[in-house]
Amino acid sequence: MIPEGYNSGDLLWLGDWGPAWIAVLVLIGVVVIGVSAYDLRGLKTGRRITLVGLRALVYVCAVVMLLEPALDLKNISRVKNHVAVMVDTSESMNLKMDEQGTTRHQRVQQELPELVPFIEAHQDDHVFHFFSYGQEREGFAQSSREQLEALATSGGKHSNLGGALEAIDAHFVEEELGGVILYSDGIDSGAIASRTRRGEKLDSSSQALVSSLGVPINTVAAASQDGLRDLAITRVMRDDFAFVHNKVSVDVEIQAIGIAEQPISVTLMRGEEELQTKQIQLTKNEMLYKVRFEFVPRQIGQEIYNVQLPVLENEALTTNNEHLFLLRVIRDKIRALQVVGRPSWDERFMRRLLKRDPNIDLISFFILRTNESLSNASRDELSLIPFPTQELFDKELGSFDLVIFQNFNFGPYSMRQYLPRIEEFVKEGGGFVMIGGDLSFASGGYARTAIEKTLPVKLPGGRGKLIDTKNFRPELTQAGLRHPITQLAFDPATNTKIWASLPEQRGTNIVGKALPGATVLATHPDLRAGGEPMPVITIGTHGEGRVMAMTTDSTWRWGFESLGDGGTPREYQLFWHNAMRWLIKDPELKLVKLELAQDTTHPGDPIEISVRVANSDYSPAQNRTGELLITHTPHDKDETASAIEPIPLKTNSAGIAQVSFTPAQRGVYELVARVKDEQDESLEDRQLVLVVPDLREYQQIIPRDDLLEAIATHTGGAFSNLQSSSSAREPVLLEPRTVKVNRRKVIQLWDSALTFLLIVVLLALEWTLRRRWGRL
Amino acid sequence: MPSFPFIESTMTHSSRRSFLRDSMAMLCAALGGALLPVKAHAMGDEDHLQIAWLTPDASKPGTRTTALRRVLQEVEKRTSVKVDATSHIIAIGEEMFDYPMLFLSGSGDFDPWSDEQIDQLRLWIKGGGFLVVDSHEGLADGPFLRAARRELARVYIDEKSSEVPGNHVLYKSFYIIKTPRGRIEASEPLEAYFEQDRLSVVFSPLDLLGAWARDGFGRWEYDMASGVESEREYAIRMGVNLVMYALCVNYKDDQVHIPFILKRRTWKVE
Repeated sequence: MIPEGYNSGDLLWLGDWGPAWIAVLVLIGVVVIGVSAYDLRGLKTGRRITLVGLRALVYVCAVVMLLEPALDLKNISRVKNHVAVMVDTSESMNLKMDEQGTTRHQRVQQELPELVPFIEAHQDDHVFHFFSYGQEREGFAQSSREQLEALATSGGKHSNLGGALEAIDAHFVEEELGGVILYSDGIDSGAIASRTRRGEKLDSSSQALVSSLGVPINTVAAASQDGLRDLAITRVMRDDFAFVHNKVSVDVEIQAIGIAEQPISVTLMRGEEELQTKQIQLTKNEMLYKVRFEFVPRQIGQEIYNVQLPVLENEALTTNNEHLFLLRVIRDKIRALQVVGRPSWDERFMRRLLKRDPNIDLISFFILRTNESLSNASRDELSLIPFPTQELFDKELGSFDLVIFQNFNFGPYSMRQYLPRIEEFVKEGGGFVMIGGDLSFASGGYARTAIEKTLPVKLPGGRGKLIDTKNFRPELTQAGLRHPITQLAFDPATNTKIWASLPEQRGTNIVGKALPGATVLATHPDLRAGGEPMPVITIGTHGEGRVMAMTTDSTWRWGFESLGDGGTPREYQLFWHNAMRWLIKDPELKLVKLELAQDTTHPGDPIEISVRVANSDYSPAQNRTGELLITHTPHDKDETASAIEPIPLKTNSAGIAQVSFTPAQRGVYELVARVKDEQDESLEDRQLVLVVPDLREYQQIIPRDDLLEAIATHTGGAFSNLQSSSSAREPVLLEPRTVKVNRRKVIQLWDSALTFLLIVVLLALEWTLRRRWGRL
Repeated sequence: MPSFPFIESTMTHSSRRSFLRDSMAMLCAALGGALLPVKAHAMGDEDHLQIAWLTPDASKPGTRTTALRRVLQEVEKRTSVKVDATSHIIAIGEEMFDYPMLFLSGSGDFDPWSDEQIDQLRLWIKGGGFLVVDSHEGLADGPFLRAARRELARVYIDEKSSEVPGNHVLYKSFYIIKTPRGRIEASEPLEAYFEQDRLSVVFSPLDLLGAWARDGFGRWEYDMASGVESEREYAIRMGVNLVMYALCVNYKDDQVHIPFILKRRTWKVE
């Protein structure tokens, strides 16, 4: 019986007795009753039980008094918990679901007023909040039912259901959440849908995520797949980069729903070129189809590919019928052609170095015998092959990245007509190095040929001395101190010391001055050309390609002879590895490098761009100015390419200029960073950026009502489908657990005369009966 | 162990005739040296192919001292390689690092090398050196080869020598060779140590140097073991192949050469 004004009462024990003491009291009680029962063993059973019972009652009353019982009276009221009503406003909710053109979003808007009676019926226990999710990459936006009902379109981008649920949990971290009511088509571009395939149970990670809210998640499916008709590229699996001349595989996953059995062509385009077409046969029983394209990219660089499906009538969506991607084609191995006029130790150590480098694919051709060589064996006793000049220097030259002429003279092999082809090869971007020897440079007859035009040094054309036989050590120039080819140690002083300690070179070809624009890295200590020290190691550019002239043929001694002096082959290996990398324009050795955080983005998403600029000695170029030129080629072929206002560049102390650019439209953007070098020559680097609509939400447009049902089932919520009235179920919410105490009163039950009187009466009764029944 | 039918040829110099012959040879050699055309300097003689003779024991002057010069001259005549045919005789030490190819030849046992010499030789081999060990004895298990194997085993502590397969690039580096021959024909495959994909040490019981050595008159110093003089050509071809292998290593194993070589081998068989 609770007094008026209170609606809750609890019994309290005010005595400060621990469990051990209570156990002792119970034990004492048992002993007392046991001793009594033994003491009264002579009495009749009924009398004995009565007396023992009275004594036990007295003891219990005494113990209860010690425990100090009290009545805790309270007037309490419950605090409402919170219910999150989440409405998916991602882009997929704009898809039409019937012939009248009703979208999934509109169907949810029609349903929201139906929630009002439920809200009113539960408003004493719950506060209902409305949220939309799908506008942002993560989380949700607070809203109201009226606002959501008034939204013309869903207006969002892609839904991340997991992210939104986690954000709701965080939002109510200080308050009690009583449940979630989720309106969606189940399409989720976040982790939950990707981990849980259609028709499967929720995976353990997703289960943990939805359970972490600790409340029922009631899900309302906005649509089902009935009546949907669509052909979509749901996934394209490929690597971000490919190796030139190596096979590339692109796996395409296609989803067809509501489409009659028919053959469908899947086309892979490279730019405007139709690369491959494959046929798939749509059947009634299959929804998913896979197509594999395999091709071999022939050029290094970035290429735009497009997988296309035909657009059929009445498709729910046509933008998912194509998938554009950008493939970065990189060099697998450096393809090097080593042509040697006569075998020598220099050739032998160079070949060994190149062969051992796993990044180099080496093709060697050595002239083992000349027309002057004595022939005393038949051709079949010799393992010699013809020198395939036409194959090498005409047909296959373009497949090489680097050509090495090592002590090779072209004269005896009728190859004068191929020399311009080699010059073209360099102009088009190939690398070329001439290494010295008595068959190289002017003594190889290269003066006044296309090769002389290609080389970075002039060749003596007269009858003067073409070879100097004296031993010498090359001396580094200022540029050579820091250039990556000749930088054998980071510190210039140490670098100079290393070069001074290298074994001597045994003679050199005589060359003239370096051409304007060429960089001399090392010179002869005694010989002079045009009044300046004669170049020994010279580099330069010719058209798009790079060239190097090394006038000695005994660099092998840096790797072998130095061992005898306690040295290592490191210097020889480093020098030539660096030279190869520089000659093939290893991206790491570019003077201007345009770096993008990503090469594929969506309209409106900013791209962070870094432009690294180095001086010709590869030190950071500080405060260097330039510009970023941008050209947009629209996706629509009818529109023409247009230039966008250049963005000015200025490098910081680290030689880096950082800018940001936001592409507004879809298509291909070509970014060109252009900076002047110390000689006022333009240096540039370029990158393509593919701007495509964000189609993640549309890759799977079939409603995932199965996913919504799985979430509801796992969390104890209710699942309803708006396209099936029979499935409507009332949402399940948790009762509020938090209460508020308005008034409280504690009544001590033990502290009254009645309790003492009861004990006295019980004792008196026991004493009276005991005396009457003949006991003292 | 198999033995070869001929051990080592010897010459007597006691007769007057031989005295006159030797005197004439010395005179001709001196005149020849003066009258031969001076070789055009290319990038310096040091930069031409030089091969040195590694003496196992500096205290014992070897025989066949002309052999390397003779085979180098053959290399220059038959191939595009330019050689420096000066005789270079060296002991194990820093000087080895001027010569990526060395011949170690001789007969009889020799004293073990010092640990320092073994370390030097190991460094030279690992750095790219190619050593041909050639016995004058004509015995696959003669005292010289036994001593050489003993010392090389100290260089290759955890490795063992193995046979050079018949299709090895050594036998097609210039000439196509079916059976390796020196002054003596091999009855078993040659043995070698391998350094990754290349031969680093080849043991030859063939007395190659014996087949190549000529006196000052240009006469062969040692007869062929078989008595068939025409077989000497095959010993010279073996020498050319060894030199070309040292210079080009596995060049003839490159894919581009294989169809040509296979075609010729097939033709030979048919």
